[in-house]
Amino acid sequence: MRSIARTVTLPALLFIAALVPLAGNDFYIALGISILMYATLAIAWGLFAGPTKYIGLATAAFFGVGAYTVGLFYEKVPMLALYPLAAVIAALLALIVGLTTLRIQGMYFTIFTFGLAELIRQLMTWYQRSVTGSVGLYIITDVTARQIYWALTILLGLTLLGGWLLARSRYGLALLMIGEDELAARHSGVRTTAVKVFTLAGTSAIMAVTGAIVAPRWTYLDPNIAFNPTLSFMPAVIALLGGMQRFWGPLAGAIPLVILFDQLNARFPTAYTLILGLLFMAIVFVIPNGILGLLPKLERTRTTGAGLTIPAAWTLSEPLAPATPVRSASPSIDGTSGPVGKLSSHGSTLLEVRSLRKTFGGIVAVDDLSFEVREGEVFGIIGPNGSGKTTVLNLVSGLYQPDRGEIVFLGHKVTGKAPEEIARFGIARTFQLVRIYPALTCLDHVTPAALFGGHARSLTDAREQARQLLEELGMAAYVQVPAGQLNFIDQKRLELARALALRPKLLLLDEWLAGLNPSEMLIGMELIESLRGRGMTIVLIEHLMQAVRRLCDRCIVMSFGQKIAEGLPDEVLRDREVVRVYIGEADDA
Amino acid sequence: MISVLDALVTGLVYGGVYALLALGLTLQYGVARILNLAYGDFLIAAALLTTLLFQRYQLSPLVALLLLAPLSFLIHLLVYHLVFVPLERRSGSWRAMEASSILLAFGLSFVVSGTMLAIFGGKLFSYSYLLVPVQLLGSVVPANRLLAFVLAIAFGALAYLLLVRTRIGTAIRAIAVDPDGAPLAGIDVRRWAGLTFAFGGIICAASGVLISMFQTFNVPMGITFTLKALVVVILGGVGNAVGALVAGLILGVTESFVARFVSPGLTLAAVYALFILAVLTLRTGILGRALR
Repeated sequence: MRSIARTVTLPALLFIAALVPLAGNDFYIALGISILMYATLAIAWGLFAGPTKYIGLATAAFFGVGAYTVGLFYEKVPMLALYPLAAVIAALLALIVGLTTLRIQGMYFTIFTFGLAELIRQLMTWYQRSVTGSVGLYIITDVTARQIYWALTILLGLTLLGGWLLARSRYGLALLMIGEDELAARHSGVRTTAVKVFTLAGTSAIMAVTGAIVAPRWTYLDPNIAFNPTLSFMPAVIALLGGMQRFWGPLAGAIPLVILFDQLNARFPTAYTLILGLLFMAIVFVIPNGILGLLPKLERTRTTGAGLTIPAAWTLSEPLAPATPVRSASPSIDGTSGPVGKLSSHGSTLLEVRSLRKTFGGIVAVDDLSFEVREGEVFGIIGPNGSGKTTVLNLVSGLYQPDRGEIVFLGHKVTGKAPEEIARFGIARTFQLVRIYPALTCLDHVTPAALFGGHARSLTDAREQARQLLEELGMAAYVQVPAGQLNFIDQKRLELARALALRPKLLLLDEWLAGLNPSEMLIGMELIESLRGRGMTIVLIEHLMQAVRRLCDRCIVMSFGQKIAEGLPDEVLRDREVVRVYIGEADDA
Repeated sequence: MISVLDALVTGLVYGGVYALLALGLTLQYGVARILNLAYGDFLIAAALLTTLLFQRYQLSPLVALLLLAPLSFLIHLLVYHLVFVPLERRSGSWRAMEASSILLAFGLSFVVSGTMLAIFGGKLFSYSYLLVPVQLLGSVVPANRLLAFVLAIAFGALAYLLLVRTRIGTAIRAIAVDPDGAPLAGIDVRRWAGLTFAFGGIICAASGVLISMFQTFNVPMGITFTLKALVVVILGGVGNAVGALVAGLILGVTESFVARFVSPGLTLAAVYALFILAVLTLRTGILGRALR
């Protein structure tokens, strides 16, 4: 019943909203247009900024582009064709913005968008001055206020529908991952740049269409109206007041705020900007999670109900309490745990690293390193702290680009490929310092890897695979527990589950055993052995010689970025040079 | 030929001021980790107060600078401790903090510019100070611009020396490099980050005073100044003072050439072009490695 009520509420509200113009009061139509316009802008803005936490400040730019598309072309192009045109232009603009700045840190995106409206405003002014001779233009159409109202209602409906579909799709999940830990998302095989750029383009197109619909309302359009900074600011305020935990959250902020601003603008026209700023800062402080955050009920129905469809990422109100003690049973994946025999006849070369070199400034982290990993073996990389082991892993997993050298995996050159591509190729990794999203459940951690690694056909399928994997790793009880509440070994196990969900052909473990207590260590080693029993090829970085002896078929020793020894663990550890670098460091072993 | 020289000299003069402008912002971002989108608005506030002091009390901009520097320091210190510190305490993940601090700074920018708009509206401000021609490199420059340039470079150099040569400067640079590690060396991060933010505020005010000496401005221009400062910061590398100087000069000259030979309406487009270039090619700034 409740789910039906939930599903019907929004369409019903929209339907009621669509009836308002029939009452025929011009004041309400005007106010309604404002509310619908800002609600649409705020929802579009929140669809991207909410989950990813990339703060775009260019709503005015896209809105203005839409308005100007109408202003410049309405005499030559039929009105209905102008909407898609506006959408396409804005999407192209967003593509430029996204491809320039979204591949890197969020800051650049914010800065770029911060000035974008101003840039386009100046360009438009310049264009009109030098081409048409006068700044500003008239839009004389026979579009009525009611038509604008209804068009906006339809657009809002479509935006909500889009948001709903996005939230249930794999891309909704990908966007959430990006907001939590972008790097971990990439190593789960999520093509983060593509996801970000397309979502940005889509939401920007909505903003432009909003501008195109509203443009005839003004009759006179100049760059200062169309690209007003307030237009960038208002949607953010509204979205924040409403809350962005759900795609429809901004809707809750639009109605009260637009009415309030309408009043403020009429009464204090000069102090309007000031009041707007103060109000916004107050919202950030007083209700950081918005109106939605004040509704605890809503969080609960979602988190314990359907599993994870758009989990309550920022505020999990009722997590399950995890049992803390370390389990005594060893989690054997397939029952064949235990040593498999060290003199295994290993197959072909799986990974080949040739003359790899990486420097950071003046420091040579990896210096002319070559090695081969054969199929089915456990290959150890050991060496004192700072000898470049993790750098090697970061190079192989695509996090760093090597300065020189080649990495060949299964006969394909993977040098210089992005982490997500390498993850999809079948190389999975864990991190030395666990990278988990504390607020997301264990299931949410593993699902994307199953989904984007390219093996699961649907979200349901991926969830099923993830659940199974967690069960196999002995984490059945924690499927719905937020990862931040797990103890250390379980967090490590979770990372392993995430890596395994990619169904990798090669697994990179970066000091996976470090920081475990002795009994946890035993469980951990058995786990790795059981993986090998299953035929998994593993490269592991390890400081514990006991573990290296027990687990590795072959290993190399690194010191100052160079390989100083290679061979069977026992031989290598007896090597004089190896002993020297270790004792010299007096660190581990 | 003369016009090329004119454009170059004008560009360099502007560039020097941009470099100073960016130095304040890079300190605030690099050390206090706050992307201060209200920077340009504070700058306009300083410029506006200087103009008012000059017009009403015939006070020299240089005297105004002496008054405004401590004032700006105090205001920025308050802003840091009353606005950004509570936010930092509250938010969980760093990304969440970054996102809300950006929004907060955006809100702050509206508050600062909104206050000025409420009092003065959007009209243009300027005053004539030291408007005497000076011969320089075969070109003629007004003395006020020259003075602004010299002072900008002097202030910038002073700030740079403070950072590199003093104990406090070392502490500040330590925070810029590793805010988590700095407390282990006995550095009170919050305190010094706050003071650095406020110090950035002094530089911001100084830039505002210098700009008011030779440029006509109005309140809505705050955004453009923030943007130019940001672009210089990125072009020069975050936290890199020398990079900021070079990048500032590049920006100033580019802008001046575009204004002179293409169209004054396209200067911001030139700024953006530089920005895109910087982002696409030079992630660590023109001088290679950034300070942090």
